[in-house]
Amino acid sequence: MESQERALLERKLRKAFQVLLLQRGRNPGVKGWELKRHLGREYRKIVELLGKEISALGLEVFEVKGPDGTEDASRFLLRFKEPPTLSEAETSGIRIDDLAVLAATIAFINAKQGKAGRKEVEQFLRAKFPKWRVEYSLDRYVKKGYLEQDDRALMRVGWRTRAEVDEKTLMTMILSRGTNEVPPP
Amino acid sequence: MESKKLDDLLRVIELCRSVERSSVNPFEVDIREKIEILRRHLPEWKFLDELLLDSEAMLELAQIIKLQDQWLKHRASSLYIDPLLIQLKVKLLSKEELLEAFIRSWHPSVQLDQLTPKGLERAFIYWLELTPLSERFKEEFGNFGTRPGLVDYEDLVELKIFTQEQFESKLREIHSELLEASKDDWVDYRKFIDDEAFEKKIVRAYMLAFLVSEGRATLKTDPLAGTIWVRALKSKTPGEPRSVAISITGER
Repeated sequence: MESQERALLERKLRKAFQVLLLQRGRNPGVKGWELKRHLGREYRKIVELLGKEISALGLEVFEVKGPDGTEDASRFLLRFKEPPTLSEAETSGIRIDDLAVLAATIAFINAKQGKAGRKEVEQFLRAKFPKWRVEYSLDRYVKKGYLEQDDRALMRVGWRTRAEVDEKTLMTMILSRGTNEVPPP
Repeated sequence: MESKKLDDLLRVIELCRSVERSSVNPFEVDIREKIEILRRHLPEWKFLDELLLDSEAMLELAQIIKLQDQWLKHRASSLYIDPLLIQLKVKLLSKEELLEAFIRSWHPSVQLDQLTPKGLERAFIYWLELTPLSERFKEEFGNFGTRPGLVDYEDLVELKIFTQEQFESKLREIHSELLEASKDDWVDYRKFIDDEAFEKKIVRAYMLAFLVSEGRATLKTDPLAGTIWVRALKSKTPGEPRSVAISITGER
């Protein structure tokens, strides 16, 4: 009996890992209701167990709360437990300019109480990046879910930033850097 | 007087919306004062439209209170930093420093983007069941979606627009007309093909194109002025023919 339960649990763990790993649609991760469909009502327990199993691989299951705060609307995804090193990130083919635009945008939006007009963001970024790069990168990050833009062209931090970026650390890192430099006149 | 009262409501709505649309401090809106305005006017509203406008203003004020709540929460959180300070900091940092700050706070998500046997099977079944594009919208739109193509003389005969005899006689008629009009001189192409009925104009242009192709008439164009000249020839001219595309519209 016990071995049967163990086999069932192992099967559910495997299923949970596959469901979380395989991409569905454009965005990573799966919603709570999808996990419930695949793993049953006790899916949270399975997800917790899976988290322990994959910890040794340097991964974790992360939950992003949905807009209504219910479990079903939450999005679960696999992510790195610790941030990658600079060289690891570079080998993944990321462009420095692109990520720098994202970092500056997140910092700017947070400093503006969590929302800023698109024009305002563009104007801020254009002090450092060319116009085409700013427009291209912002559009790309909106599409990928790192940023949100509503029909009134107001920008906010997107769900994917909340899932992947430790915003407090980012703000602290930005504030603690470049202290020895003097601003240009 | 009535319109002044309505203006008060519209001003409240517009003010709230402009604050919602920007990152302006929502505490700039004096909620107490605005509610006082709504309260003062409420007994005077008689029509449904006025009452609806009043409730819309109230809704907008509620949105501002929600924004004020978010504003307070954000300022109380550790994410709040003076906007000017953060702007200055970001301007001072190099791209590399910004990148490093980001990477040290980044936990990339992990996902696998690949085909599964089940996915392949579903795609294959979908492909098998998919109606060809040419058939898909036939019932709804008929042949409306058929792309434009070339219509040659045989097609016209087949479509019974011309019979063999009619075509030959019409061709001779146009040639004679052009000979008459040109008298060994150039004639304005557009004037020559012009007719009150657009369909007839198209037929004349088509016949003339046939004459030119056969070498019984010739064209010259002036690209700068945009004029096209045509002249009848008594006999076929030797030489390499050139293709000229001319658009014809219904304008006269």
